[in-house]
Amino acid sequence: MHCPILIAVVIWSSCVDSQKIRGISLSYKRFYRERKSFLCIDGSKLIPFDQVNDDYCDCADGSDEPGTAACPDGRFYCTNLGYRPHYIPSSRVNDAICDCCDASDEYNSHTACQNTCRNLGQRERAEVKSQMRALDQGLRLKQQLIEEGVLTWRDKQAQLRDLQRVLDDLQTQLDDLRKEDARRKKEVDALRELEIGALETEENSHRSHIMNESPVSIFYELDSNRDGRLSAKEVRAKLTDIQDGERVLSEDEAVIRGRVPGRLVKGEPVLKAAVSAAEKAAAELKKVEDAYETVYMEIRDLREKLATDYGPEREFLFLYNQCFQLKVHEYFYELCPFNQVTQTSASGAEVSLGKWGSWAGSPQHRYSQMKYENGEPCWQGPTRNTVVTLTCGTETALRSVKEPGKCQYVAEFQTPVACRPALRQQGVHSEL
Amino acid sequence: MAAFIVRMGPVLMLWLAVCVSGSWAVDRGNFKTCDQSTFCKRQRALKPGQSPYRALLETLELTNTKLTLQLINDNNKVRLLLELYRLQGNMTRVKINELKPLKPRFEVPDVLINDPPTEPLSLLSQDENGMVLSLGADSQRLIVSAKPFRLDIMEGREVLLSLNSRGLLAFEHLRIRKDTLADPEGAEKKEETDAASEQTEGEEATKEDEKVEDGMWEETFKSHTDSKPNGPTSISLDFSLPGVEHVYGIPEHADTLKLKTTDGGEPYRLYNLDVFQYELFNPMALYGAIPVMLSHSPQRTMGLFWLNAAETWVDISSNTAGKTVFGQMLDYVQGSSETPQTDVRWISESGIIDVFIMLGPTPTDVFAQYASLTGTQAFPPLAALAYHQCRWNYNDQEDVAAVDQGFDQHDIPYDFIWLDIEHADGKRYFTWDPHKFPQPKEMLQGLEDKRRKMVAIVDPHIKVDNSYKIHSEIRSRGFYIKNKDGGDYEGWCWPGNSGYPDFTNPEMRAWWASMFAYDQYEGSRENLYTWNDMNEPSVFNGPEVTMHKDAVHGNWEHRDLHNIYGLYVQMATAEGLIQRSGGVERPFVLTRAFFAGSQRYGAVWTGDNAAEWDHLKITIPMCLSLGLVGVSFCGADVGGFFKSPSPELLVRWYQTGAYQPFFRAHAHLDTPRREPWLFGPENTALIREAVRQRYALLPYWYQLFYHAHRTGQPVMRALWVEYPQDTATFSMDDQFLLGRDLLVHPVTEEGARGVTAYLPGNGEVWFDVHTFQKHNGGQNLYIPVTMSSIPVFQRGGSIIPRKVRVRRSSSCMEHDPYTLYVALSPKRFAQGELYIDDGHTFSYEKQKEFIYRRLAFANNTLSSRNLAPGSQFTTLSWIEKIVILGASKPSKVTLKMPDGKESQLEFDFDASMSVLTLRKPGVNAGVDWTVVLQ
Repeated sequence: MHCPILIAVVIWSSCVDSQKIRGISLSYKRFYRERKSFLCIDGSKLIPFDQVNDDYCDCADGSDEPGTAACPDGRFYCTNLGYRPHYIPSSRVNDAICDCCDASDEYNSHTACQNTCRNLGQRERAEVKSQMRALDQGLRLKQQLIEEGVLTWRDKQAQLRDLQRVLDDLQTQLDDLRKEDARRKKEVDALRELEIGALETEENSHRSHIMNESPVSIFYELDSNRDGRLSAKEVRAKLTDIQDGERVLSEDEAVIRGRVPGRLVKGEPVLKAAVSAAEKAAAELKKVEDAYETVYMEIRDLREKLATDYGPEREFLFLYNQCFQLKVHEYFYELCPFNQVTQTSASGAEVSLGKWGSWAGSPQHRYSQMKYENGEPCWQGPTRNTVVTLTCGTETALRSVKEPGKCQYVAEFQTPVACRPALRQQGVHSEL
Repeated sequence: MAAFIVRMGPVLMLWLAVCVSGSWAVDRGNFKTCDQSTFCKRQRALKPGQSPYRALLETLELTNTKLTLQLINDNNKVRLLLELYRLQGNMTRVKINELKPLKPRFEVPDVLINDPPTEPLSLLSQDENGMVLSLGADSQRLIVSAKPFRLDIMEGREVLLSLNSRGLLAFEHLRIRKDTLADPEGAEKKEETDAASEQTEGEEATKEDEKVEDGMWEETFKSHTDSKPNGPTSISLDFSLPGVEHVYGIPEHADTLKLKTTDGGEPYRLYNLDVFQYELFNPMALYGAIPVMLSHSPQRTMGLFWLNAAETWVDISSNTAGKTVFGQMLDYVQGSSETPQTDVRWISESGIIDVFIMLGPTPTDVFAQYASLTGTQAFPPLAALAYHQCRWNYNDQEDVAAVDQGFDQHDIPYDFIWLDIEHADGKRYFTWDPHKFPQPKEMLQGLEDKRRKMVAIVDPHIKVDNSYKIHSEIRSRGFYIKNKDGGDYEGWCWPGNSGYPDFTNPEMRAWWASMFAYDQYEGSRENLYTWNDMNEPSVFNGPEVTMHKDAVHGNWEHRDLHNIYGLYVQMATAEGLIQRSGGVERPFVLTRAFFAGSQRYGAVWTGDNAAEWDHLKITIPMCLSLGLVGVSFCGADVGGFFKSPSPELLVRWYQTGAYQPFFRAHAHLDTPRREPWLFGPENTALIREAVRQRYALLPYWYQLFYHAHRTGQPVMRALWVEYPQDTATFSMDDQFLLGRDLLVHPVTEEGARGVTAYLPGNGEVWFDVHTFQKHNGGQNLYIPVTMSSIPVFQRGGSIIPRKVRVRRSSSCMEHDPYTLYVALSPKRFAQGELYIDDGHTFSYEKQKEFIYRRLAFANNTLSSRNLAPGSQFTTLSWIEKIVILGASKPSKVTLKMPDGKESQLEFDFDASMSVLTLRKPGVNAGVDWTVVLQ
């Protein structure tokens, strides 16, 4: 696959050798045809041809000195046979630092540069090969993950629908139960009212009955522990049978009611049944309300989760509910994608480095970076935040966490879903 | 940050407690006012009036080298000894000490580069009221008045300067403690003093009972008590300067160039202090102290050098300061006015009076005089004049490599990358954090491969940790400063509990220097240099964040020598860097604290400033003030240390810093990153351009420093230095000169649309260095500006060499050719210099390996002539281009070589700007040549 290019390079470089115009690429050769004069590429000036590469800058665009350092913003073309050709700023020509791997930039600085292009080329080709392999594998994995994601997504959608249905059911039940509950309560209230009416007529006789009993004997009856005092507990114990099922006696009530004998409100069987039915209805309602609440929350969470941007193919969906750890010196970092980043020190203190904010890559590659914001505030500074850069790899793992500026963290997170077919183009390109 | 908090937690809290008041600016309450410094309060309470001192003329002794005379205080009968020397180079030295002090008083060593050579004095006349002496120079007289004692230096009929004319000479003699708290040892001492005082008994010695005031034998500031075992020891003297309205110098203060009067306010304070978030425009003490003041009037420039290293306060008053402009005008019209006069009063806590009066008469003379006393600016390696990239902190080796790479990616040159305190293993200087910097040599080699260098910080506080070699050696050798009770002095600083080596001890300094040897300082290489911070010294839990005054350095108290401690730290460090190369390489050491003489050891910066526009503005007067008193290698943190600059402020700061001597960006740990490429491509381009202008101008910077090193003339100059008659320049501190030939008026206003620069010199012309537009001198010029503007002008009559092929570091440009910018005066004349050497060794000095040439344009002929025939050096650099500004069009241009060879040069003439460009003379920069325009 590289053969035609290599051949082209060989042919081209032999042509250049004969021309001896240093520092230009094949595509610029046409500007430097040997004639009497040279026209600056920007057309600004015509100079004698022997002033090309004579180590004096004549053209404003630097085009007369492609092979020297004479022009301030000029560029020098490294042919780098066996590796990648590229431009370097003119200022790096003959500065005693080897920039071109073919050593062509240091032709006059007495610096012994080795031609390292072959090695570099080999190494890079090997690297690119392994990268390509990783990319291919990554892309396959990504496809799987996407497919899994699709399934998960469908599952979740189905789950959502199911939940919605359950919720609807619960809603219907709730409506019925609420009605039932209200009806029961009303019934009890009505019966109570009747009862009270009846009681009022009896009251006098009861009262005289009470009056007839000696206070001392009543006291003794209530003072179960015989300590000569009446406690609320004692009164309550005696009066358990007069609790109405919905209320518990307060301390005050217990004391006051304590004066009244228990059998006073010993209910009618009808009322008793009604109360118990009302209690049952209320309990049932409570149960369904709780269930409703649970399902509602579940739906809300699921909706929220599904509303998160998992990428164009929802390829990042699988990361939800996962966490990834990394130890750097004395610190332990944890990234929970779409949730948060934390740092735990050797002493065990956990610090939030940010909560999920948004995708933050460049407009072209939005999904190449994640931003986690509003972590723990720094002393005299802003809140901590973390920018996570996603890189292509066959595994999903947290690769590095750094703090280049105080409380500004950057992390590298490797995952197959960050692999893009476009990377293959770049790889092929760099293979040249 | 987490790591920082964990490690620094205790120190931080302490530091907070000491330093942070909650609001943003400095907490003034942490620092003394004159009233809170008891000696200052006592001295200042003394008002001008009749001096109690009387000269005992009968005690006069006049030898070839000096005059001695006893003074007596008629109130307490204590005698002083006055020594007066006429020094070569138009200087007079006046020393006053107790005639018979109880024990010796501190005299500052190691500041004067030699015993200043004297000239004979001669007695012209004498009577019972005084005497007149001739001061060498024909017309100069010294008048000694006996009662009250007073000295006047006159030239012709004019009084140049008077001492004790306001009667503020006050010398607190050493005494035995007499109050109830006197220590039991006092009894023994008493006998000795009885013996001593017997000698003065001949006179009617009924000593006035000395009052014991609060604070004489002990004083407390905040929670710190100063035990003051020697009691009151302060000294004071006044100087009157008739005809003077402008005084300058006595850095370091964050204040205007022209010193203000201190009547009704605080005096200027000189006491080296680590001031957290310092405030601008006030006389509070800062990190360094140079007790040198310059006075200037259109007639004369003079200097006063008060050689005392104790806490010092300076009061300035003026008889014209209070007057309105109208009042002054009225005086002038009526002709009835008293002459303007400035009165100055110096107060120091201990030591002796030792003052050098530098009589000028020109600014150049004063610089030369001061240089003859304390030496000149160290000649830095060329790379140190290039751009420095610093931050607290570059986190690890990877970070360093990434920043280095960033500069190359964005094609911005830099020479030095810096590592602050976090690089060391737990703030143990001379070590490296094993996780962050596991392979320092490899890192340094990586920088060397790009021909770049590194600076790592080495502070003078040493972590108390027995497993730390530096500490255990200093302790076992007894090199630590001692506390008042004789134990090693310990205080809190970055590493926690720390000891402070006694740098005043020459053995300690020698040992310290040896620690920089490559086999001692592990991980160091030739391209690693040093930064001394916190050398005031900073002690987080000490009084005023510094050392207790009763700490002990051998025979002396810290009180006596506080202000010189920082100088010694830098001296020992610079010596270490010289020694590690076997004396071959020039050192580069940056210091925060300094004293008179510090210029000999490297660079200083203005400490922990802030990212604010006013802090950008103050860099100019702060560095100008330092330049006036010998320290040329001055800079401020570009971008501001505390807080975060807006991109506009950052760009303007780069543009300003590119034209100031020490050019380093620095930032606090808490601030977001601010490498030049982090603010968008436009700002990156603006910063790149500013840095490139710096690099192109490096040949000029280098020769200015060579000049400063040889003569003591400042590199960055106040305008009045070159235009001493032009009163419009006397208070100017928003623009400055580099050498004589470049005038810089940086843009320091937010949102500026234009600046008004003052171009001095009637009949002179100035050329805009960017457009070559010519402007007349003697005018205020409004210059519209954009974000890319850095208003810089070249003086007509000058020649400036540049290397316009800017590369990634200055070393890479070593062999590059020169472009000469010849700016013609209205008389079509110009001259300049060209200095070339290897850029980093002492060979220029030891083997005379340098090129020093005069470039002159006259009669349409430009020539290069050797100024140093005894020197020899070969350079690969050649003359690439000659740009003549203000030229007319020649018909032909001929290059003539000494061997008679002639050749025609191509040229290009821009008629609109009158710029003549000569193409490729191609001659070697080290040879004679002539170019003739016809």
